[in-house]
Amino acid sequence: MIEFIKLFLIGLVLAFLQSFIIQEVDMGFWMRPMPYLMLFLILPINTNKYAQLIIAFVFGTFIDLLSGSFGTHAASCIFMVFFKNLIDSRFIDLDSIQLQGENYINVDTKGQLFFTYYTFSLIFIHHFVFFALDFFEWVRFLRILGTTIVSTVGSYLLILLFKSIFRR
Amino acid sequence: MWILIRWIKLNSYPLFALILFGFSVNQVLRYHIYQHSFYFKSSTAFFRTIDQWKSNVTEFVNLKQENIALRNENISLRNQLSLNSYKYNSYRDTQYFDSLNAKFPNLKTAYSYITTKVIRNSTNSPDNFFYINHGTLQGITPGMAVISPSGVVGVILDCTDNFSRGMSLLNSKFEITPYIPDLDLRQGVLKWDGSNSNHAELLEVNRTETIKKGMKILTSNYSSIFPPNIPIGTIEYINPETKSHYHEVRVKLATDFSRLNNVYCIKYHFKNELDSLNMSGNINPNNND
Repeated sequence: MIEFIKLFLIGLVLAFLQSFIIQEVDMGFWMRPMPYLMLFLILPINTNKYAQLIIAFVFGTFIDLLSGSFGTHAASCIFMVFFKNLIDSRFIDLDSIQLQGENYINVDTKGQLFFTYYTFSLIFIHHFVFFALDFFEWVRFLRILGTTIVSTVGSYLLILLFKSIFRR
Repeated sequence: MWILIRWIKLNSYPLFALILFGFSVNQVLRYHIYQHSFYFKSSTAFFRTIDQWKSNVTEFVNLKQENIALRNENISLRNQLSLNSYKYNSYRDTQYFDSLNAKFPNLKTAYSYITTKVIRNSTNSPDNFFYINHGTLQGITPGMAVISPSGVVGVILDCTDNFSRGMSLLNSKFEITPYIPDLDLRQGVLKWDGSNSNHAELLEVNRTETIKKGMKILTSNYSSIFPPNIPIGTIEYINPETKSHYHEVRVKLATDFSRLNNVYCIKYHFKNELDSLNMSGNINPNNND
C-alpha cells in the first residue's frame, strides 16, 4: 500500500512537472522531452499487465487533461506499456530479478548497456507514437523521426536525473 | 462461436491494449482540429474510392437487369415515336377540328412493339428461319414484322403459346420494297441471293435512277408489315456492265444475322383493314410487303 501511495505521489509530481514546467520551457524545436515516462519504468515488475495498461491510460489521460493534448499522451503511453510488457516477457527473467531483491529494472539488473537499450527503446517507441499523432502527416516523417530521436535523448537524461533525485 | 471466444480469450491482452489505444486515438481525432480535418478528408477520399469500386462491381453484376430495363425503356420510347402514328385529320379544315374532344383523338397508334429474344437462328441454308421466346400468350401473331436494333430481321410465320418461328430476311421467299431516301425512291425489290449472310440484292430498279454506292436503304411506307424508315442496308456495289434495263445492286445488310439476340416484334394495327382492301381489289400480294 505504501508502495502504491509512493508511486501515486511520484506520478502526480511527474505529471505536474511535465505539464507546468517542462512543456512550457522552450528547449528548441526538436527537443520536447517527457521524463514522466519514468513512472512506467519504476512500476513493480510483478504488476498485472492489464493493470499496467489501465495505469498508462489513466496517467496519460491525466497529462492530456493538464496539457490540453487530448488523447496523444494516453495513446503513446498505452503503446509503450504494451511493448514494455512484451519485452519483459521475452527478454527478462522476472523471477530472477525478484530473487535479486529488485522491484523494477535498473542499471544493476542486467548491466548499464542493457538498461540503456531497454529504456531508450521504450522512450523511443513512446515518442515516435506521440510525435506521429502530433504531426499526423507521413510527409513529415523525417521531422517526426528527428524530433523523436532528439527528444528521446533528452527524456533519457532527464529520467536518469529524476531517478537519482527520487532515490535520495 | 467457441472458436471465437477462445480466440478472444487467448488474445485478450493485445485486444485490451488495442481498445484503449483506439479510444485514445479517437480522442485525438475528435478534439484536435488539424488531426480531425486531416482524418475526415482522408477517410472521405478513401470511402469514396471504396464506393466507386463497389459501384463498378454492382454495375457489372447488374448488367443483365440494366439491359432488360434499357430494352423496356427503348420499347416504350419506340411506341411513343410519331412515325408510329397516323394523323387522321391532317387534311381536315381547322375550323371544324376540335382537339379537345377526346372521342376523336388526332393521333392513333399504328404500330406497337414487343421486345423479345432470338433463341435459335440459322444463316447458312437457302431458306433461313429464326425462333423467338415469345408466342401468342405474349401477344405475338403471324405476320408481325421483326426488327433488331440495327435493322430489318424478318416476319413471324407461326406461333405456339410461348414461342414463334419467323422467316428471316435471309430466305429466298422474303421480299421487301425498299425506300432510298436520297432519291426519294420507292422502287424495286430487295431479296437475298443465298450466297452471303451479310448481303442481299436490290432488283428491278430502273437504270435511269442515279443510285450511288453508300446510299441508305430503308423500309418504305408501302409496306403493310414494316413501319417506314427502318434500316435495311447500304448500297455496296453497282454492276456497271449490266445490259439489262435494271440496275444490278449488291446491298450490305444493316442487321448482323450471326449476332441476332434482342429483337422487336411489331404489330401493325391497321393490317386487317388494309388486307381487306387488298382482297376486295383482287390484289393477291405474294410478297411480304
